[in-house]
Amino acid sequence: MPWRILTLLLLLLVLAAGPAPARTATARIDAIDAAGVALRDVRVRLYWPSDATQGELRIEAARIDAPALGYRFADVRWQCPLARPQADAWRCEGPLQGQGGAPLRLAVDLSPASTDALLAGGDARLALHRNAASPDATQLQLTRVPMLWAQALLANAWAGGRLAAGTMDGAVTLHTPGDRPLQLDGHLALAGLGLESDDGSIALGDVDGAVRLDLRMPDDSGMLLSLAGEVERGEALFGNAYLALGGTPVEFGIDARQLPGGGWSAPRIEWRDADALDARGSAELDAEGGLRALAIEVRSDALAALPDRYLSGWLGLAGLSGLALDGAAAAQLRVEGGRIEAMDLRLEGVGIRDPRERFRIDGLAGELRHTAVGVVDSELRWRGGALYELDFGPIRLPLRSQSGTLQLREAVTLDMLGGQLQLDNFSLTPPREDSGLRVDFGLALDALDVGQLASAFGWPEFRGTLGGRIPSARYADERLDFDGGLSVHLFDGRIDVGALSMERPFGVAPTLSADLSLHDLDLMDITGAFDFGSISGRLHGRIDGLRLVDWTATAFDAELHTEPRRGMRQRISQRAVQDISSVGDASFVGSLQGQLIGLFDDFGYRRIGIGCRLANEVCAMSGLHSAGAGFTIVEGTGVPRLQVVGFNRNVDWPTLLERLAAVAAGDVAPVVD
Amino acid sequence: MRRVLGISLFSLALCACVTINVYFPAAEAREAAREFVENVIGDEAAPAPAATPPGGGGMASRQLRFDPWMLLGIGSAQAQSSPDITIRTPAIQAIQSRMESRFSAMRPHFDSGALGFAGDGTVVVRDASKLAIKDRVAVNAAVADDNRDRKAVYREIAVANGHPEWESQIRDVFARQWIASARPGWWYQQGGAWKQK
Repeated sequence: MPWRILTLLLLLLVLAAGPAPARTATARIDAIDAAGVALRDVRVRLYWPSDATQGELRIEAARIDAPALGYRFADVRWQCPLARPQADAWRCEGPLQGQGGAPLRLAVDLSPASTDALLAGGDARLALHRNAASPDATQLQLTRVPMLWAQALLANAWAGGRLAAGTMDGAVTLHTPGDRPLQLDGHLALAGLGLESDDGSIALGDVDGAVRLDLRMPDDSGMLLSLAGEVERGEALFGNAYLALGGTPVEFGIDARQLPGGGWSAPRIEWRDADALDARGSAELDAEGGLRALAIEVRSDALAALPDRYLSGWLGLAGLSGLALDGAAAAQLRVEGGRIEAMDLRLEGVGIRDPRERFRIDGLAGELRHTAVGVVDSELRWRGGALYELDFGPIRLPLRSQSGTLQLREAVTLDMLGGQLQLDNFSLTPPREDSGLRVDFGLALDALDVGQLASAFGWPEFRGTLGGRIPSARYADERLDFDGGLSVHLFDGRIDVGALSMERPFGVAPTLSADLSLHDLDLMDITGAFDFGSISGRLHGRIDGLRLVDWTATAFDAELHTEPRRGMRQRISQRAVQDISSVGDASFVGSLQGQLIGLFDDFGYRRIGIGCRLANEVCAMSGLHSAGAGFTIVEGTGVPRLQVVGFNRNVDWPTLLERLAAVAAGDVAPVVD
Repeated sequence: MRRVLGISLFSLALCACVTINVYFPAAEAREAAREFVENVIGDEAAPAPAATPPGGGGMASRQLRFDPWMLLGIGSAQAQSSPDITIRTPAIQAIQSRMESRFSAMRPHFDSGALGFAGDGTVVVRDASKLAIKDRVAVNAAVADDNRDRKAVYREIAVANGHPEWESQIRDVFARQWIASARPGWWYQQGGAWKQK
């Protein structure tokens, strides 16, 4: 604070020289050390013309250092007309120039009772007042003072921090008693504060608020800082956490102590944001700003406000932007050495809703406790929810945290699709440095209603049940693998599902792979469900390597055929023949003349077989066997004898789907040769 | 003697197996990557026809094996998978168009140097200080979304072409293509260091 020193210097000079007609006094002082400020190579020149009422003062300093506050100036020059308004009082006002600095004006008033100085630049004013009666206390009055003026002070506390914008108003007192540490206290109103760390990981922007501060700088230890105040509005970024504040002011308080070798210990941190978030605890940061220890209690009575005010940064990274929460929650968290040692989360009536409607949980309540060492039990429950289009019922989750993993203490049952889903041997390992999230579980399905599943996904109306047991399933690296198999009881037969796996189940283009084998399905039911004419008989076959991307089939190798069954007639209706031919681009050959087809309602058949190997949007079709240039799909029997032969071996899959849709809509134009 | 020769030839024929040479179609993959990347980046700044850096050709690992069938005068069945790399599946196309619209929002940040192409085919925030704080959150989220999309694209292209094991090679080809298609002034990572194009 050069002005303080300059006032001292002026006094010195005046005392030494004294007013006299037409004289020039010069002084050169190598070093001045006073109250934490050091001046080097100081030159003072006072010229007082004879009989003049004022003189000309010029003070230059090669360097001014205030190491405790972090200020350092070079080549400072102050030139002003020195006047003597009253006996024992002096006044001087003139431009103050420093190396590279913006032009400032410094005015100094000296009297035996007090010292006043006013530093002004633009619309910023920094006024200093000191009473001779209390020389250890210097009062500073700030009016629209740029934050940048406090940069050196900040750099002392945090080397990597850069003040970028904002102004301060308020009053601060600097105590410089000889026997006690230097102390700065007062209150400041901040407007448009902008601050950024060198690496961009921490940033504040447009912060308006007020702060009461108490800063002490003992010589023998790090500084002690106590802050209390409120934030009216503003935004803040801490790593991936983004805070967007506004509307209701947030009260905060912090007591912190600088540790030897950098780093900070904050035994008291408080943050009160109305109902949205109330946090209190303690923290310790290392010199690089990393979190060494944290013990914090957090409570939110209005979770609905959290995503916008506090969670948007994390949610965006997780691909969950716009996630809606409601209800209330409280948590206790203890981090040591950068690792979560213990967490205790209590939830009351929490609702979670994905904006893209991938999942929803209603009425989530209970307690989730986690510990890095030892065993701790807790229990969560929810009222219901949905996964994609599938609604599920209430559940009770008896949890156990053991050596860093979260497990279910016993098997749990969930009502879903009119049946039950049982989850056992569940174990969740949170992401670690060297591995991502991993979940292991066993699954048993009992009598899930395929009809509800079909209507949820907008499929044709199936009727049947889904059941089976998957003894072990695991989720890791965005991949969900199931060992074991499921059986779907459908159309009076059975479809076995094996080699089931999913990639990115909740991510980009979710993918499902499976091998299906079809056993003894009733064709009459199938053709009825798909409105595909009517065929009586039993269908067998397989669909290997089925791959759905975004719930759309992109690859499979399918082979479906009929097998005769004792006592079962094998008939195909005229409509089904037309549908098959329109879908398969097939023709009728053989003994039946195409134009005669309309004369018969149905035909007997010996075998039906069709294959499709889908890849790259092309279905490579095949039938029972080759028939000249084509392949036989339907092999007739009896009179009239029907044979359906397909000729198009490579069919464009989207076209095929369009035709199937047209068939389902009853909009068929049969192609009859 | 004749018989012995006959028997040994017969047994040789029995244990001979058909060699299936599946090689990674590097040139086709480069062409597919170029099409994809240019579509995503768009031609706002009239792209010079992206010259792919040389060196990609070395990826084709043609296997040369001794084939006992040749002794019998029968050429091996060169069961070569289709050398075409397709990127025209609905899933890939859907991701591509999503990335296209996202890229137009990210472009200014490539121009400013805030974002750069990493050597592994992803986008990274190079210099967060070039972004306003509010933008930083949106850009972080966009980068995370884009990298999820990229990961899925590399995987899906490999799988759609019937070779899931090609995923890392596809990713390498794309990583080079993102850099090749980068506009002048954009930043990319090479050998861990940042370079400006």
